[in-house]
Amino acid sequence: METLRRILPALLIAAAILAAWELYCVRAGVSPLLLPAPSDVARALVANRGEIAGHALSTASVTALGFSVSVAFAFLASVALHFVPPLERGLMPLFVVSQTVPLIALAPLMILWFGFGLLPKTLLVVLVTFFPMLVSLLSGYARAAQDHLDLLASMGAGKVALFRRVYLPSARAAFFAGLRISGTYAIVAAIFAEYAGARRGIGIFILSAKNNFRADLVLAAVVVSSVLTLGLLGVVRLIEWLSDRRRGHHAPR
Amino acid sequence: MLRVEALTVTARERTLVENLSLDLEDGRITCLIGPSGCGKTSVIKWLAGILPAGLAAAGKLAIDGRDISRPDPAIGYQPQGDALFPWLTIAENAALGLEVAGASRTSARARVAPLFPAFGLAGTEELFPDQLSSGMRQRVAFLRTIVRQSRFILLDEPFSALDAVTRMRMQLWFLARLEAEPRGVLMVTHDLREATEIADRVLVMAAAPGRIVADIPIETPRAARSEAALADLRQSLKSLLLEDFSS
Repeated sequence: METLRRILPALLIAAAILAAWELYCVRAGVSPLLLPAPSDVARALVANRGEIAGHALSTASVTALGFSVSVAFAFLASVALHFVPPLERGLMPLFVVSQTVPLIALAPLMILWFGFGLLPKTLLVVLVTFFPMLVSLLSGYARAAQDHLDLLASMGAGKVALFRRVYLPSARAAFFAGLRISGTYAIVAAIFAEYAGARRGIGIFILSAKNNFRADLVLAAVVVSSVLTLGLLGVVRLIEWLSDRRRGHHAPR
Repeated sequence: MLRVEALTVTARERTLVENLSLDLEDGRITCLIGPSGCGKTSVIKWLAGILPAGLAAAGKLAIDGRDISRPDPAIGYQPQGDALFPWLTIAENAALGLEVAGASRTSARARVAPLFPAFGLAGTEELFPDQLSSGMRQRVAFLRTIVRQSRFILLDEPFSALDAVTRMRMQLWFLARLEAEPRGVLMVTHDLREATEIADRVLVMAAAPGRIVADIPIETPRAARSEAALADLRQSLKSLLLEDFSS
């Protein structure tokens, strides 16, 4: 009930936009080739569900692989940067520059260097999602309370113990925030990589739909990519919830 | 007996604490009072072995005549506030010092468990810190300090965050705990009433540079201290704090 009340405004607004769109298409008599109505998109989605599902699965696996590699890499990098401060000064500018490289330039090069397989797509997903996670982790470590650090140091804790017992738990909330930011970009990055060249995937499906002037299929692919992103964010939420030791233990309000 | 000799703490050009010496006796409570910025916290942190980077210290610290390096298990430190870890249960918070010192999870838990009733914390073991009142949280912090069995403990304004009633209750409770498990205590406080009611001895610091300007033993047993005698003592402490030593 509570949840329903919270998401109700969003649902209403979305429904209103779809209704207005549908109405406009019907009343103005726009060609469905130019602007298909939501009902046309839904029909296209259902009619091509088998083909789209196959492409979606491919995109989802590329994203899952790239995202996992990225999380692991971001975590290891954050540990290295935490323990070796000069590394942070040396590497951070490099990471920042890596974020300024336009994907549109990089994606075709990756395909050129690494072929049409998993590797170039995984690398692109890593490139896009790595940085927000790293920054979140580092800012999470910086959130460690001096009190906690002092207390533990006075008990004789070394650097590793300080990291494990204070810095790491202090960064939990920031880590998941970073995960959600990265997760938002991950699917889009994978689709973009596929668009630049792939055998399967939502990206290549969009490319061929566009080339056939099938606006309804392009929009159907957009719907699928949104669903995939929401699914990924849902998984992140679920992991956050499952890994919360305090589940059911929050202070009464 | 813990003895500090000729402690000087400097931050770049500035001298925060100059040539300070003090003794802490086993089983006795020494209160350290002084204006803010007089270096009380620097003294405590130096004793605890956690002087912030950027501060340099010279001086000797010995227990029973033997020089010791810090952090040392014989010296326990309790930061201002309770400093409980919000992501750990109360039992885990209480056992933290033992675990850091190398005890296994289970043996650390086994050692803190029997102390919970005496600290008025029975039944809170599996709760988290924000589910407890401020007074109870403070008791957890004391439990975490006491269970380490340090001969000396350093307390940085342990009661300052508590409301007046909770503070009085906690002071009485704290004295009773120390009766049961005596420790040499060095307690920083801003509260003159607290100092005169709790301490066996009051050290008064002056600022710029930080040093001890008065060492006042209180011989009367706590229970026998009359309100009138305490008022006199507070008055003289107050004039010491207000006096200008910066000649």
